[in-house]
Amino acid sequence: MQAKTHERMTVEVKQAIKIDERFYKVEEIRKLTEDTFSIRMPKGRFKFKAGQHISLGIHGDYQSREYSIYNGENDEFLEVLVKEVKDGYFSPKLSNLKPGNLVEVNGPFGKFRVDEKKIDDHKFVFVASGTGIAPFRSMVRTYPDMDYQIIHGVRYGYEAYDKNEYDPKRHVLCTTGDKSGDVHGRLTKYLKKETFDKSTQFYLCGNSNMIFDALEILKKKGFDRDQVHCEVYF
Amino acid sequence: MKYHLVTLGCQMNISDSERVRAVLERMGYVHTENEGEANLLGMLACSVRQKPIDKVYNKIAQWNRWKDQRNLITFISGCILPADKEKFLKLFDIIFQMSELSQFPDMIRSYGVTNAASLQPKPVMPQNEHIVDLWQIKPKYQSTYEAFVPIQNGCDKFCTFCAVPYTRGREVSRPSGDILAEIRHLVNQGYKSITLLGQNVNSYGLDKEGEEITFSELLRVIGEYGKSSGEEFWVYFTSPHPQDMGREVIEMIAEYDCLAKQIHLPMQSGDEKVLIKMNRRHSMDKYRKIVSDIRELIPQATLFTDVIVGFTGEGDTEFQNTVKAMNEFRFNMAYIAMYSPRPGAASYRWQDEVSQEVKKERYHQLSEVMKIHTRDYNRQMIGKTFRVLINGTDRKTGFSTGLTEGKLSVRLDHAMPELMGKIVDVKITSAADFSLSGELMSLKEKIVF
Repeated sequence: MQAKTHERMTVEVKQAIKIDERFYKVEEIRKLTEDTFSIRMPKGRFKFKAGQHISLGIHGDYQSREYSIYNGENDEFLEVLVKEVKDGYFSPKLSNLKPGNLVEVNGPFGKFRVDEKKIDDHKFVFVASGTGIAPFRSMVRTYPDMDYQIIHGVRYGYEAYDKNEYDPKRHVLCTTGDKSGDVHGRLTKYLKKETFDKSTQFYLCGNSNMIFDALEILKKKGFDRDQVHCEVYF
Repeated sequence: MKYHLVTLGCQMNISDSERVRAVLERMGYVHTENEGEANLLGMLACSVRQKPIDKVYNKIAQWNRWKDQRNLITFISGCILPADKEKFLKLFDIIFQMSELSQFPDMIRSYGVTNAASLQPKPVMPQNEHIVDLWQIKPKYQSTYEAFVPIQNGCDKFCTFCAVPYTRGREVSRPSGDILAEIRHLVNQGYKSITLLGQNVNSYGLDKEGEEITFSELLRVIGEYGKSSGEEFWVYFTSPHPQDMGREVIEMIAEYDCLAKQIHLPMQSGDEKVLIKMNRRHSMDKYRKIVSDIRELIPQATLFTDVIVGFTGEGDTEFQNTVKAMNEFRFNMAYIAMYSPRPGAASYRWQDEVSQEVKKERYHQLSEVMKIHTRDYNRQMIGKTFRVLINGTDRKTGFSTGLTEGKLSVRLDHAMPELMGKIVDVKITSAADFSLSGELMSLKEKIVF
């Protein structure tokens, strides 16, 4: 609550001291490429399910943005993956954060989550463009034994964020700007060619155009819409 | 001292305004419709569209001019985007979130003080944990037969066209015991139409992680109370989100008489891609399944929806999918809005690529499609008798008007002010696109004059 000053009135001010649990100190900024980085914060009592997202604000700024959680449920920290948008409003400010700076975390939000009942007997295919890989890293770190495959589409090979954390047999990198990936071309090229088990659960995360195209391909392959879970980045 | 309150926007704001009025009147303020004679002027803002925000700016400019002529205190609450809040701080004397309403009297008394809270870091998202304090305040209901009962506040869905998560904060559910107590009180007072309010009513209880009942369980509790009360009343809810709309909710509505057979299920678009771009998190298949469950379990239910035309990415093909969906679901009412980017919402950062002209054209086209179905539905009601809650007067004729349980508008054939707030039998005699006409049949209850 805020009020403006009135000159003629004298009143008592009640001092209320309250620690706001939503403000977190930045612990580490991990540079992954020239324009992509992760922000790590102490996890504290924050609880979430792999695949969920948070709303992140900067102390002193009135805007906020949503970011998928990049770490696993059991990690000791809370982490988000950020790509700096040139001339953007928010991400350049995030890129200037230093350890010790305050950020505001709200959440977790969302239902883009792995169905735990299906983990033991279903195959999971995670399709990501760019930083859309964030929720999938969280899922893989949380359920390392799940039967998964990640199909990650980026422009250049160096954008395969934290690639060495994944089982190489389960990680397919598709690059359009160089030939360093497992597939040269868009991830949809790979998706079209590949065959999948009938009961596969698909998770798509990234920009809307990739999601539209992937949805069409999966629909043509005969998968039901309820087997395909989408999280659009905007 | 007199106060004047301007309420903009949705039913949630109307409900909030009833609590603001209760607080002010408990302080001794007297309400006036004439803002020219009030010393306390306030507004409950709405940020869903630009127009109501423009109204706020116009109104406060006028009020601030009046400060040269008389002593005035101005305040604002409701749905306010952070960017507007920064500006309002300079324009209004007091700004508070609805969750801080219980502290509002202190604010008025200590008007002029920069309080401790303003020295703390300002959260980006509104603090919503204390919304329960707001719900403890007994509202001053504006009607004696229709009431709004908030059951949940805030939104965690982050639809890209909407700024509500940034104005009302995250989802918080009101204790079910309090909800039922308010409903009992209303029914005992003779209320006939009660609307459960929330940004996502069917997410009710989920924020409490097992410590609160779910929405369908809440409906069951209300339904059981309705059954035992022996009273005739209708309980509505708005708005549900298709993502959390399970068959069990529809089963409850089917089972209990007091749960009104009218469902408002926002569709927003009939196109899969546009839904994804809107971040609606439900597919058309999911929506179709819900409608199919409604038709199967409550065939008599009326179905209302919300649709946005001209959203970013909606080309002709996508719009035609919405037209197809309108034909498929044959809504009894669709609140159609032309898309306008809202500061604070994610889509505000995208190009608003559909021209105003095209939006208008689509709006009219879709309205025409809707009319075909509302007209057809209304016509088949002719000759049948329905229970109707009398709740108004036709401006032109002075005849009484009312709403069926399915919220279809009915005009009677003469004025009967003594029936205001009563549920009566009306035989439908003619039908128009959006309304019905009918004649009064015998009353089930004896009216006490």
